[in-house]
Amino acid sequence: MPTLTACALGRLPYRDGLRLQEALVRARSDGETGDWLLYPDHPPVLTVGRNPSEDNLRVPVETLDRLGIERFEVARGGDITWHGPGQLVGYAILDLTARDRDLHRFLRDLERSLIATLEGLSLPAGIVPGRTGVWLSGEKIASIGVAVRRWVSYHGFALNVHPDLKFFKLIHPCGLRGIEMTSIAARLGSRAPGLEQVRVRTTNHLAETFGYRALRWAEPDEAWRTAGETAPEHLSSARHAAA
Amino acid sequence: MPLSIVVPQLGESVAEGTVSKWLKAVGDRVRKEEPLVEIQTDKINVEIPSPAEGTLASITVAEGTTVLVGTEIATLATAGESVGGSPASPVAGAAATASSTEARAAAPASTGASGSARATASAPTPAPAAPSATPASRPASLPVAASVASAYSGGNGANVTPAERNLSPSVRRIMREQNVGLDEVTAIRGSGVAGRVTRDDLLEYLQSRATRPAAAAPAAASATAQRPVPAASGPPGFLGAATAATAAGAREEIVPFTRVRRLIAENMVKAKHTAAHTHCFDEAEMAAIVALRREWAPKLETQGVKLTYMPFFIKAAVLALREFPWVNGSVSPQGDAMIVKKYYNIGLAVGRGDKGLIVPNLKDCDRKNLVQLATEVNDLAARARADRLRPDDIQGGTFSITNAGVYGAINSSPVINVPEVAILGVHRIVERPVIRDGQIVARPMMNASIGFDHRVVDGELAVKFLRRVCELLERPELLWFYA
Repeated sequence: MPTLTACALGRLPYRDGLRLQEALVRARSDGETGDWLLYPDHPPVLTVGRNPSEDNLRVPVETLDRLGIERFEVARGGDITWHGPGQLVGYAILDLTARDRDLHRFLRDLERSLIATLEGLSLPAGIVPGRTGVWLSGEKIASIGVAVRRWVSYHGFALNVHPDLKFFKLIHPCGLRGIEMTSIAARLGSRAPGLEQVRVRTTNHLAETFGYRALRWAEPDEAWRTAGETAPEHLSSARHAAA
Repeated sequence: MPLSIVVPQLGESVAEGTVSKWLKAVGDRVRKEEPLVEIQTDKINVEIPSPAEGTLASITVAEGTTVLVGTEIATLATAGESVGGSPASPVAGAAATASSTEARAAAPASTGASGSARATASAPTPAPAAPSATPASRPASLPVAASVASAYSGGNGANVTPAERNLSPSVRRIMREQNVGLDEVTAIRGSGVAGRVTRDDLLEYLQSRATRPAAAAPAAASATAQRPVPAASGPPGFLGAATAATAAGAREEIVPFTRVRRLIAENMVKAKHTAAHTHCFDEAEMAAIVALRREWAPKLETQGVKLTYMPFFIKAAVLALREFPWVNGSVSPQGDAMIVKKYYNIGLAVGRGDKGLIVPNLKDCDRKNLVQLATEVNDLAARARADRLRPDDIQGGTFSITNAGVYGAINSSPVINVPEVAILGVHRIVERPVIRDGQIVARPMMNASIGFDHRVVDGELAVKFLRRVCELLERPELLWFYA
């Protein structure tokens, strides 16, 4: 694999993140650009994948409206999940044809990278067969949900670094009952690294696990330019603050 | 001739996919490469592009239905063909719908494909016969027992009423399995959004129905369901007592499968359907190993290593596998070739009580000494029980060992961890009378068994392999000379 381009996008509403992803998927499948790893910082949002198995909300819709939490139905795999501050959301826009179009291997490689990241923090994370994602002694610390269009992947993973875990009480995460979510901060307390450090570690492990020869970091402007989309205007200052 | 749209290969371990969303309707014009349908497997949702320009002539698999890779899900009339002229008549469509329903009933876990392979450690799963066959032959080619398609067939557009459409697939599945009528379900007060009846609501209702049939059953059914209620005037005695005892607690409990249980179930059925399971048995006198372990276990314990019998079994198995390489391999996903492995990743069946069986494997056992094996066996089993396995732990196994002896069994006929071709069963070591030099003497004996896939492993090979394993256990000094 040649080069992986990673990019911390800064604060980005979910809707705009989706727009950027879809445009980059098009550019990737047309061969105009290489593989990308995007890290948006989303305001609190609930997203639902294809065929949610159950009634997965634990509160009335009105409560979500009052809290200002938007909901999106997206074409990724998996059930309902929450994204928001303190969570490392990673979108992997990779050409899967170069990876033999092996979808399960792709999921396992994502898990492997996240486990390596957590093990680097002395957190003994692992998998639970049949329940894709990353677990820490019975609690879930990272979720995975992927979509594939023209054999290019998008969406990806969400690793809980230091989110307010109360948000997960709004839903049955991933449609699973009685699932407790945890985070790096919940386990490590004051020794927990910040989002930026976890982002760098995760990216390095992903680049290694997926076998890239090189990894480079791009500014958000480059991602938007490559996608042929314009960044939401009011966010430019916030983006620079994050970059 | 319309083009057949099938579920494509989605990866080495992907045997099936769930139709998550049709992006086009019958009659829609589509361009080449335009997305037709979304298929979901595990946590990935894939858009399947149209292979050609044309018109969608028929949809044979409805949303929410899980089908094997290679199953036809639609037909496409290519340019110049008229839709009406396609052979996808309503009858053919209905047949396909029915059989896909059965496929779903047989494999209800929509996200189970990878996991089912993984739950028992695995690489490619030989998907049984799912060729991209012609519409006429395809339904019959699905390896699913014929069953009566119920009226409540999860998600088939043809016979789902608007009221049913409001119910989730899992609710509909339970209705189908428990014979619950739509009128009964609509009478339940749902706790979901907008009063929708959730799976939990339905299970709760079923429990109360089992306890109080007369009260819960709707009017139409109550006439037959009504039990004689012991009234004040009625005869007291054992009848009344029996009724009271029944009412005190439900006599049956419905415990839905956990995901892991579903995966185990699917994989076991898959194993029994694909491999030509055959078993044979042998026995080994374990005196030497018992003595070795008795001597070495305390020594190793001071180094923090717990020595069980498993490392000895692994050692013996690996040496025997090197002598009989054909036993250490798998059948190709297409089912037409034997893949002989030159490495020895030995799967160990780990029971985890309610959490269900799992078979992680120890890598490269041929390169490890007994102490290393002991350390790693303990570590692997501990991590399996603590949900701390890594993806690698359950992938890439080449041969498996299962020890039913830890629970007391003196013999077993283990199920092969497909696509592997054999599994060694080891058991409890028991003092038994045996004849030595014409005398009846007591010896610590162990039965050993092998489950093998008779498609590729002949009986002669299996027996010779098993004998060698037993010999190596009886005379561990052979390891000095041959290992």
